[in-house]
Amino acid sequence: MTTVEKPLAVPTTAPRAGGIGSSAVRKEDDRLLRGDGRFTDDVEPARALYMAVLRCPYPHARVLRVDTSAAERLDGVLHVLVGAQVRAATEPLPVLRPVPGAPRLPYFALAQDVATHEGQPVVSVVATSRHLAEDALELIDVDYEPLPHVIDVLAALEPDAPVLHPEVLDSNLLAANSDGSGDPEARMAEAHVVVEGRFRINRVTALPMETRAVVAEWRPGARELTVHVSTQVPHLVRKSLAEVLRLQESDIRVVASDVGGGFGLKLGVFPEDVLACLHAMALRRAVKWTEDRAEHFRASTHARESVHDYRIAADAEGRILAMTNVYATDIGGWNSPFGSAQLSSVVLNGPYRVEDGYAERRVTLTNKTPIGAYRGYGQPEVNFAYERLMDTLARRLHLDPVELRAANMVKQEDLPWRNPTGAVYDSGDYERCLRMAAEAIGWDAHRDAPRVPRADGRLVGIGFSSFVERTGYASARFLANRGSQFGAHESVTLRANRSGGIDVYTGVSSMGQSSETAFAQVVSDVFGIAYDVVKVHAGDTASSPLNTGGFASRTMIAAAGALKEAADELARKTLRLAAGKLEAEAADLEIAGSVVRHRDVSGVQVTLAEVFTGAITGQGIPPGEDPGMEATSHFEPSDAAYSFGTAAALVSVDPGTGEFDVERFVMVHDAGTVVNPTIVEGQIRGALAQGFGAALTEELRYDPDTGQLVNGSMVDYFVPTAADLPPLELLHTEVASPVTPFGVRGVGEAGTIPPGAAVANAICDALADHGVELSSLPITPESVWREISGRAAHVDTHLNPSPGDLPDGGDGY
Amino acid sequence: MSTASEVGTEPLVTVTTTVNGQEVTATVPPRLHAADFLRQRLGLTGTHVGCEQGSCGMCTVVVDGEAVKSCLLLACQLDGRSVRTVESLAEDDRLNPLQQTFKEEHALQCGFCTPAFLMTATALGQQGRGCPSREEIREEIAGVLCRCTGYENVVTAIERWFAEHPQRAEDADPSPEALR
Ligand code: FES
Ligand code: FES
Repeated sequence: MTTVEKPLAVPTTAPRAGGIGSSAVRKEDDRLLRGDGRFTDDVEPARALYMAVLRCPYPHARVLRVDTSAAERLDGVLHVLVGAQVRAATEPLPVLRPVPGAPRLPYFALAQDVATHEGQPVVSVVATSRHLAEDALELIDVDYEPLPHVIDVLAALEPDAPVLHPEVLDSNLLAANSDGSGDPEARMAEAHVVVEGRFRINRVTALPMETRAVVAEWRPGARELTVHVSTQVPHLVRKSLAEVLRLQESDIRVVASDVGGGFGLKLGVFPEDVLACLHAMALRRAVKWTEDRAEHFRASTHARESVHDYRIAADAEGRILAMTNVYATDIGGWNSPFGSAQLSSVVLNGPYRVEDGYAERRVTLTNKTPIGAYRGYGQPEVNFAYERLMDTLARRLHLDPVELRAANMVKQEDLPWRNPTGAVYDSGDYERCLRMAAEAIGWDAHRDAPRVPRADGRLVGIGFSSFVERTGYASARFLANRGSQFGAHESVTLRANRSGGIDVYTGVSSMGQSSETAFAQVVSDVFGIAYDVVKVHAGDTASSPLNTGGFASRTMIAAAGALKEAADELARKTLRLAAGKLEAEAADLEIAGSVVRHRDVSGVQVTLAEVFTGAITGQGIPPGEDPGMEATSHFEPSDAAYSFGTAAALVSVDPGTGEFDVERFVMVHDAGTVVNPTIVEGQIRGALAQGFGAALTEELRYDPDTGQLVNGSMVDYFVPTAADLPPLELLHTEVASPVTPFGVRGVGEAGTIPPGAAVANAICDALADHGVELSSLPITPESVWREISGRAAHVDTHLNPSPGDLPDGGDGY
Repeated sequence: MSTASEVGTEPLVTVTTTVNGQEVTATVPPRLHAADFLRQRLGLTGTHVGCEQGSCGMCTVVVDGEAVKSCLLLACQLDGRSVRTVESLAEDDRLNPLQQTFKEEHALQCGFCTPAFLMTATALGQQGRGCPSREEIREEIAGVLCRCTGYENVVTAIERWFAEHPQRAEDADPSPEALR
């Protein structure tokens, strides 16, 4: 295993242009730069109609009566759907990644008797223009009986809380489960010190710049439902729509061409997708719906909100003896297709060696917009908690927080290693990233300096956050045990064409993660063909092999193997066919750019176009060879790969007001073998920007009295602009993963993980003499000032672990 | 259900405007905003819509030399004015220098925000000022959000474009005749 320390943009050896390791120019860019992308709202079939959706304005209400007669009389209105029609025509929406042990909630595309969150669809209307469809909504009369609501995730677990789904559950606890091993309670009892805290994580949202959108067309004679939809998972949408609409999968084609950002939000089927299909099937005309931003804030999905009661036990030298996390995580009013982030339990110990530990999760229903997946999927939440506590522990024991971290990290030589929940960390040098971050930020000089104000009156602190990031899935068997509706593999079809190029067909849609580029690089590298003539066709279920889709930082991990297998197969056949034409041995030939040539005899060569044409026509191929030049491969990596790293923040604070400024931020990260350094750096920067938003400025707030979202617009919800982000310094190591092809690790999510903890730790370091311990996100000048001035509310209750039923982590993850 | 009319009963107004060098006359509902007009009536779908509230910047186009959020304008307010959209930038088959720099600097991921940054930078280039600092560029483009890139490469691309193309104002603003 080698560790290479280098800035990303400068590879140590020059890779072949367009091959693995090169910063190939992106395949996606030309169309997007010209305004020639095809996002779902750009699709405009002839005689299209437009849908608008009436939504429940209350957090919890019984729908007593719906009168649509005036809307139906409006000129231009063609079709109206209410809850009873949807109930008769469809099945409930499926959950793709269920919470183990959770009962199925009957979530239909339109509210049935009771709506459980503001924004839940109640009536949908189709008209000849969007304006008219929205006018029609104004004419619909609904009688609601507002019901008592509950917004706070802990209050929802109280015995007197209104129960959201009494027909299925006695309380708002959708499911509780525990993962762990050893005897952490015994370790706690014998420990020299136990640090603990309650950490509150804010409700945020992924907020892709392109909202959701769908265009549905139905040809009854052909039994063909074509659905253009902005999704990360076209094949899973097809599967889900078939179930909900009671169709055969073969009746449905789903197309996601360009997707304007997903980040986990666009996973699975949403109610409006089903509604557009129902209208289109009734009207036999194309029906289009594009979510407006006010709807997006209330009717897509939110993320992250949770309360974590964490404990770390250590001996007098700071060696960690046990770590536990009992947490309540909000799932909102329904179980969305990817509801409840699952990785808070899996990586509860981060990069630290902990033998005795557990995570106990309580998935809790509240009268808010459903929670879905969002980049990071539970990992930023727990990183904030365990990294805050590591600093608390260091202060308690008067230890250097860097040395405390280094001493407890899983060592390179101990990997692979199984953590208390059963997750197998594959490989890496965690300490090296930490040391690099400490050096880059100037920790040694800072540590020994007194915490006195600078000339400008500000106090300066440095904070660290070390993390691991699970990328990909352990296996299909693991997913099956958890009830997930998809596999751990990825699939591609490679098809040579008569022009001498290769077409790549994938069900992974293009949403900014550069998969078209990276896929073409792998094919070019493995096959030897020029990068320019590899064309990737993405996101159409009619042409791509059945696959899983782009999420969980898994695309490259799994797809790289499928691409390699298929490209190898095509290359072998290409060489055999070329050998026949050139009357040479296949072993003496090589593929180079646009030709197959003899390695030793110059001038003996044949073009790929000629070889491919021969294969496609079946003319002039050697006896015993089948016609055709096409390969499909499905590949499941042997295990999940764990990316890792450490971030360091240097923050100055005004001790009078709590106002603070992140002056430097260093991110040291390892994503294994890098397929394209430019893309990897872009993924890290983008994820860091989202991490900073969630850490410092973003929070969806609900009014506890009305139960309504207070800041559900882009004017009131603050995502970082170009002027808001601190300068980011990226460093990089490259430890190849042994469990994936080429040694790649996923890269999409790491940046979301450390900003909150690193910034909070820096502020607490700066204000060490004030005894400030930040424990909730987002971190704002106000929250810092409250801490400084002793106005923060402190809790002394905590969630009690359920005694006695601590399952062994086993080999589940 | 209504069968009488499929167009509804909205009154219409007439607008005459120049879009990417072409004069266009259209009858539109008074409440149609300029972004929808460009996208739905003229088929210029490179201009995107992200909030219809003037806060995301996705719909930015250049109107009479200024970067403008087209969701905040009604189509009828374009009357007599000159509009440029992202579709006007590439020269035949070639990306223009600004687009090329975005490509080389990996200043886009999903690309949904990209036309808005390109048009914001184009308007900035037309103001005939010297190379802005990175900080100034950050402030200038802060009206356009991007959820993918973290902005760093967008800033770098615009900075490089200013540095390498001092004649950008002429590049960026061909006369309507030249475009025709
Ligand atoms: S769509 Fe115009 S600013 Fe957001
Ligand atoms: S590239 Fe996706 S929003 Fe900017």
